[in-house]
Amino acid sequence: MSNRYDIAIIGSGPAGLSAAINAKIRNKKIIVFGNEQFSNKLIKAPRIDNYLGFHGIKGQELKEQFANHIKAMDIKINFERVNNVYAMGDYFALMAGDNNYEAKTVILATGIEFTRPLKGEEEFLGRGVGYCATCDAPLYRNKVVSIIGYNKEAEEEANFVSELAAKVYYVPMYNGVYNIKSTVELVKDTPLEVIGDLRVRKLVLKNREIETDGVFPLKDSVPPSQLVPGLEMEDGHIKVDRHMQTNIPGCFACGDCVGRPYAYMKSAGEGQVAALRAVNLLDNRTK
Amino acid sequence: MVKEISSMNFNTEVMEENVPVVVDFWATWCGPCRMLGPVIEDVSNELSGKAKFVKVNVDENPDIAQKYGIASIPTVMVFKGGSVVGNMVGFRPKNEIMKVLESHI
Repeated sequence: MSNRYDIAIIGSGPAGLSAAINAKIRNKKIIVFGNEQFSNKLIKAPRIDNYLGFHGIKGQELKEQFANHIKAMDIKINFERVNNVYAMGDYFALMAGDNNYEAKTVILATGIEFTRPLKGEEEFLGRGVGYCATCDAPLYRNKVVSIIGYNKEAEEEANFVSELAAKVYYVPMYNGVYNIKSTVELVKDTPLEVIGDLRVRKLVLKNREIETDGVFPLKDSVPPSQLVPGLEMEDGHIKVDRHMQTNIPGCFACGDCVGRPYAYMKSAGEGQVAALRAVNLLDNRTK
Repeated sequence: MVKEISSMNFNTEVMEENVPVVVDFWATWCGPCRMLGPVIEDVSNELSGKAKFVKVNVDENPDIAQKYGIASIPTVMVFKGGSVVGNMVGFRPKNEIMKVLESHI
């Protein structure tokens, strides 16, 4: 119980950091998950003219300002990647690699994933399509599995699955040296569609078709509805009310992941609203 | 209460049961299953008398998993009069499980 945080913030872009500073001002025990760059989109911006008070600033410079701000407030970012958030009722369980965390409330500030799902990917989710190959591997014992890898970590999953499955295909979505076992067949082609009937039968690529029982697209970030099972989405974004509350009590969302416009100040504003609402909820609970 | 059953007694515990039966397919190596366990336990207490709750370990009972096409766990199925009337794949929060179950019970 002593390790249960008041608020877990997932994401270190403007929304997540604004949520963090506001929660910290209100003296809550917080944990922030993110990366060293804070936000890949932020550091790539050549010039920003619509962030009030910082006319003509470079994304990289604004990032430095954010870094100074959180440092001054003694807020640290935890560089682990959160894979799953489970709503347990009166608290949330967060899975990050081998570590588990508990928090009373959660603020999602994960941004938006620009990689669109494959045709058929969502349709066959749970019926042959999955996002964690190692989790479901034992169900594919002696079967054929295709892994679409968007990053190096997917190679390890392919190697692991190959110990159980009858056959593993690896379709890399990046260039590099692939550290895969000789039993894993490398397929350098572009995946187009997952097809099947009651369950997955084939992965269709530009130049060939693979007969397969399972397809695992392994990306940098999973869709929000996979990250938080049971989360309600609307038009590709997390559905929230004007207090940034999602359909799961105690779970808030802010920034690009809740909808357009995709802008820094809108994200920061929403992060503040989410944090204050979470604080409000926590204070009412302890009354 | 959630009772652990196997392929040996699946027929009597699930197929021949008169009340709706909620079956939680799980395995020890599956993280989300371990999280779902206590949530299902909680739901079973809330709905006691209205439905029966059982769990099946897919590692120890691969024949049942195969028969019902379990491709991902946790999977929760609702049986009524021996046929499947509801199917939930993956972890769900309590309020959502309640919503789905109440439509079948």
